Amino acid sequence: MALSRSFVLGQHYPGTSVVHRSGALVKLVSTIALMIGVFVATKTAQYIPIAFFLVVGIGVSRIPLRFFARGLKPILFLIVLTVVVQIFFTPGTPVWQFWFVRVTREGLGLAGFILCRLVLLTLVSVLLTASTSPIELTDAVSDLLKPLSHIGVPSAEIALVMSIAMRFVPTILEETERIIRAQVSRGARIGEGSLVVRMKSFIPILIPLFVSSFRRADDLAVAMEARGFRVGSPRTRYHARHFQSFDAFILLGTAAALSGVILWRLFL
Amino acid sequence: MSIELKNVDYVYDSGEPFEYFALRGISLHIDDGAFVGIVGRTGSGKSTLVEHLNGLLFSARGDVIVDDEIVSNERTVLAKVRRRVGIVFQYPEDQFFAETIFEEVAFGCRNYGFSKEQVDESVHKAMSTVGLDPERFLSLSPFQLSGGEQRRVAIASVIAMGQKYIILDEPTAGLDSGSKLAVLTELESLRQTANVTVILVSHNMDEVAEFCKQVVVLDGGTVAFQGSTDAFFSDADLVDRTGLELPQSYRLARALKECGSTLTVNECSTDRMLDSLRLCVSDLGGA
Repeated sequence: MALSRSFVLGQHYPGTSVVHRSGALVKLVSTIALMIGVFVATKTAQYIPIAFFLVVGIGVSRIPLRFFARGLKPILFLIVLTVVVQIFFTPGTPVWQFWFVRVTREGLGLAGFILCRLVLLTLVSVLLTASTSPIELTDAVSDLLKPLSHIGVPSAEIALVMSIAMRFVPTILEETERIIRAQVSRGARIGEGSLVVRMKSFIPILIPLFVSSFRRADDLAVAMEARGFRVGSPRTRYHARHFQSFDAFILLGTAAALSGVILWRLFL
Repeated sequence: MSIELKNVDYVYDSGEPFEYFALRGISLHIDDGAFVGIVGRTGSGKSTLVEHLNGLLFSARGDVIVDDEIVSNERTVLAKVRRRVGIVFQYPEDQFFAETIFEEVAFGCRNYGFSKEQVDESVHKAMSTVGLDPERFLSLSPFQLSGGEQRRVAIASVIAMGQKYIILDEPTAGLDSGSKLAVLTELESLRQTANVTVILVSHNMDEVAEFCKQVVVLDGGTVAFQGSTDAFFSDADLVDRTGLELPQSYRLARALKECGSTLTVNECSTDRMLDSLRLCVSDLGGA
């Protein structure tokens, strides 16, 4: 349990909101566009259109805020580190000084800018993965890659590999927990002691995990072939999805936010 | 000295959309030296309950007490409790990692700081207990054994640590019938010779009727029955309500009673049932 819970980034929070029901491809494109927008901005204020769109999206999704807070946790260290570095090591007009430590106005501004950038990037991706099941997401990626199949990229196979990998992440995490429980019950102390001891303590977990993963892969291959899977044959989709009105709203909103940022940067 | 649970609750994903009470107000008592069955339909909380007994899970409310020690997340307590309570999980052969069976079985002993001689002795003893010849097997790889042999090595790797309580979660799942019986008989002899308390989680009611004197019946995360196995299986309505099946021997005894037969059969094991049936029939023939 504990292990799977710490993997929030890329975790699904099921729901029935408009954000959940809209097309994965639409959300994926929108996420990419918003991320581009985040990188286009050169001043903190220019984030406003994206932040506004994101806040509306989070509100409409009805996913609890603490779910987003947990998504920020893994990159908390990165955020703190960059902010601290920006505050203390940016040259400019000093606003506060003590011995050799100096805080500059430029440093504070840059720190705020970077902080917003990291938080926005994370929240945008958490909103996507929280509101979209992994399966829908891989379908969306394969749709996105489809044009590349004309130039010889095996997009269907890539999508299959991705969806199998996604499908088995929880299974393998569960398996890992199962093996940890068994080894701990045999007196194993995992992740304790000196570095060498700690490395060694992972052997009784990793070897069984590899053994079972190979066995699982074999079983899966047999099961797929038994149900008529052939590499390279054309594939249909079980959940065919049609474009809906709120998909258009998301795309329009994204376009508005992105163009807002670009126009702001160019003309203000 | 015994294992005792007082009003134990356990909640999965507390505060999440999937929040779910796996255990609700569980109180039970397991005597030293007993052979206790834990039964219940799939999802009734058996595995969750078992993981409380050696501190893999901690109750949300209520106390789990192992030999006067309240199980808690504290290091020293955990070490003591795990030293006393061993668990053989479902499909325990999935935990194999060592190059030889000796290393596999010795893993737990080494973790608990046994001396070289103690390790040697414990491994040999554990292998003999599960009916595998140490001389023949110890230098083989655990991966080259048959399913039944692998299961026994996995059980040996737990009992080698010499714990006072051994919990087995479906130890006979996926074994052929010969190995099933052998594994359980070995556990019974371990209980008698080393005074080990054996707790058996099982879906096989014939097994439970034959080997467990006492039984804890779980239903929807609560204790539906606790007491003698015979008393439980004699209450056919309760067995049905808790989603379980009567053992073959009890079904036969019941069928005989229903058709007004005066034949009485021994109910606790299918073999003994057949023996007493043979006896009855030859008596009838003789009369």
